[in-house]
Amino acid sequence: MIRRGGAPGPQTLIGIGLLAVAGVIIAGAVGFPSSSGYSGVGPNFLPWVVGCALLVCGLLVVWQARTGGYRHMEEPSGSDHGYWPGFGWMSAGLLANAALITTIGFILSCSLCFALAVRGLRHADRHGGVVPLRGELAQTVRDVLIGMAIAAPVYWMFTKLLAINLPGLTNTGWI
Amino acid sequence: MDLWSQLLLGFATAATPINLVWCFVGCAVGTAVGVLPGIGPAVAVAMLLPITTKVDATASMIFFAGIYYGAMYGGSTTSILLNTPGETGSMITAMEGNKMAKSGRAGAALATAAVGSFVAGTIATVLVTLFAPLLANFAVKLGPPEYFMLMVLAFTTVSAVLGRSTLRGMVALFVGLAVGLIGMDQISGQARFTAGVPELLDGIEIVLVAVGLFAVAEALYAVLYEGGPLQTQHTLSRVHMSKLDWRRSWPAWLRGTAIGFPFGTIPAGGSEIPTFLSYATEKKVAKDKSEFGTSGAIEGVAGPEAANNAATTATLIPLLTLGIPTSNTAAILLGAFQNYGIQPGPQLFTTSADLVWALIASLYIGNVMLLILNLPMVGLWVKLLKIPKPYLYAGILIFATVGVYGMRQSAFDLVLLYVIGLIGVVMRRYDFPTAPVVVGMILGPLAEAQMRNALSMGEGSWLVFVERPMSATLLAVVMAVLVLPRVMRRFSASSSTAKRRKAS
Repeated sequence: MIRRGGAPGPQTLIGIGLLAVAGVIIAGAVGFPSSSGYSGVGPNFLPWVVGCALLVCGLLVVWQARTGGYRHMEEPSGSDHGYWPGFGWMSAGLLANAALITTIGFILSCSLCFALAVRGLRHADRHGGVVPLRGELAQTVRDVLIGMAIAAPVYWMFTKLLAINLPGLTNTGWI
Repeated sequence: MDLWSQLLLGFATAATPINLVWCFVGCAVGTAVGVLPGIGPAVAVAMLLPITTKVDATASMIFFAGIYYGAMYGGSTTSILLNTPGETGSMITAMEGNKMAKSGRAGAALATAAVGSFVAGTIATVLVTLFAPLLANFAVKLGPPEYFMLMVLAFTTVSAVLGRSTLRGMVALFVGLAVGLIGMDQISGQARFTAGVPELLDGIEIVLVAVGLFAVAEALYAVLYEGGPLQTQHTLSRVHMSKLDWRRSWPAWLRGTAIGFPFGTIPAGGSEIPTFLSYATEKKVAKDKSEFGTSGAIEGVAGPEAANNAATTATLIPLLTLGIPTSNTAAILLGAFQNYGIQPGPQLFTTSADLVWALIASLYIGNVMLLILNLPMVGLWVKLLKIPKPYLYAGILIFATVGVYGMRQSAFDLVLLYVIGLIGVVMRRYDFPTAPVVVGMILGPLAEAQMRNALSMGEGSWLVFVERPMSATLLAVVMAVLVLPRVMRRFSASSSTAKRRKAS
């Protein structure tokens, strides 16, 4: 029986991911000095402990995944299958924000991220084809403006009131 | 100087106009954060951590404490009107309060939640005032072995005891500890897992992990799995309690406070257990049990809400006196202290007495502000629930950007933020707890330093952890915490099968 969110494939993959992390940590631990002064353990001790513990955890996770799935799982909330187009829009927004923030400034970059994320979320809400989206362009323009209306005051509060540096399109601290 | 004059000095600092403004803004932000689904106090404090670079320590701790507190008040509003608990601590309120709202008593439920939070918060603050300095005096005597054991206890409870699966709790804890390893070793100065990137020498910012795991993951999860319109909202009736409501509420508030407070002080993390215990107690002592779970009993809201607030306030005791956080938000508050180069612990009451007492005084003031913000003005906050879901989650992403970028001015951190968000989605989907990650990441480096200091005290011998009575006791407690629940589960399982055998 495969439960919701309980497919053995992804569960095994999580375990393999943990084993990989454990490998990286143990490989690092091998390279650290064990010199310890008075304390008996050096800077390589905790990495060894964490690496080995993750190794054991990873093996147990893989074993649970292969023998009927994780134990005592809470049913995850929401639908059985992910809505990937919406996820794509939001991911694009977040990554575009990371790529553009230093060139076009905080306000514009965040507004773009906002508009893309809203688009994804709105599509996710209508997913199932209840209402067709009309006037997408007008809607997107409105989303960008709303994004600016949120981002701009936040930006001014940080740059003007708290004197914390955030990147701008200009050096004025206003945009 | 005696306690009361110190507290008075604290009030003098907390009541300066600028600090009052910080307190008020904190309470208001906290209430908003509590009301809005998808964002909690831990992530709100994390997003605002950049202000620690500019605002002075006292003001920002007052501000953060206001958010922490305010979110507890605001959370109950959403639970009662929408049946979507923002935090584990308001799960019971969501159950029972929503039943009351369904039968047209939303106003009374909101009122008993707000007044109950005030009563419990104030009593708990008095207890913090009285006991925190005492515990600090005692904690001065603790050495590295005891501290290390206390931290191990915190690790054990947060990962192995809470949550449904010990294995998944342990995975989360060790992932957190692994993240904590990145950076310069505190004792030898050895760089670990920095991959030659100079920014990583300082370690991974707590803001990045907390905002990624809580805020970005929440938004990504919403778009992936939770499409569709929001649930219907119950209409708000007049916020008012009848004489009978008062008479039924106040014993429940007191019992809830008595149950909640001790749970906050021990490193057992979270307000899940005390709220459930309080609910069970109220159900047990109630003369008329028919309302529980059907039309909604006011005691079932009053008790757990009080327990929740008392536990929340009490987490300040281990945080301030031992430097050990017992909840997500407390862990991030510890990060805020660290940003100022302040290490909470027993010395805090002598080295930063001004700050500590101003913080405690601000809790009294904040409770009064929150009562006013939440009783007469509750209608205002309810309007926040009208924000369309797409705007809410996309807006959270803007604030996430501010928090992460404002901390270190690195666009690369924004990519990391996305990656951590993805990990958060996987953790949420496959039921891995997040609190152990945050606690492991923050306490890990501290625990390592204490362990190595302890071992140098014992000249390299591990026996140092069992030779000292306090440390040995704590070790025994850790063992008991790990073993007892398992034994009891097995025992109850075997006794119930025996009963079944007898019956058949």
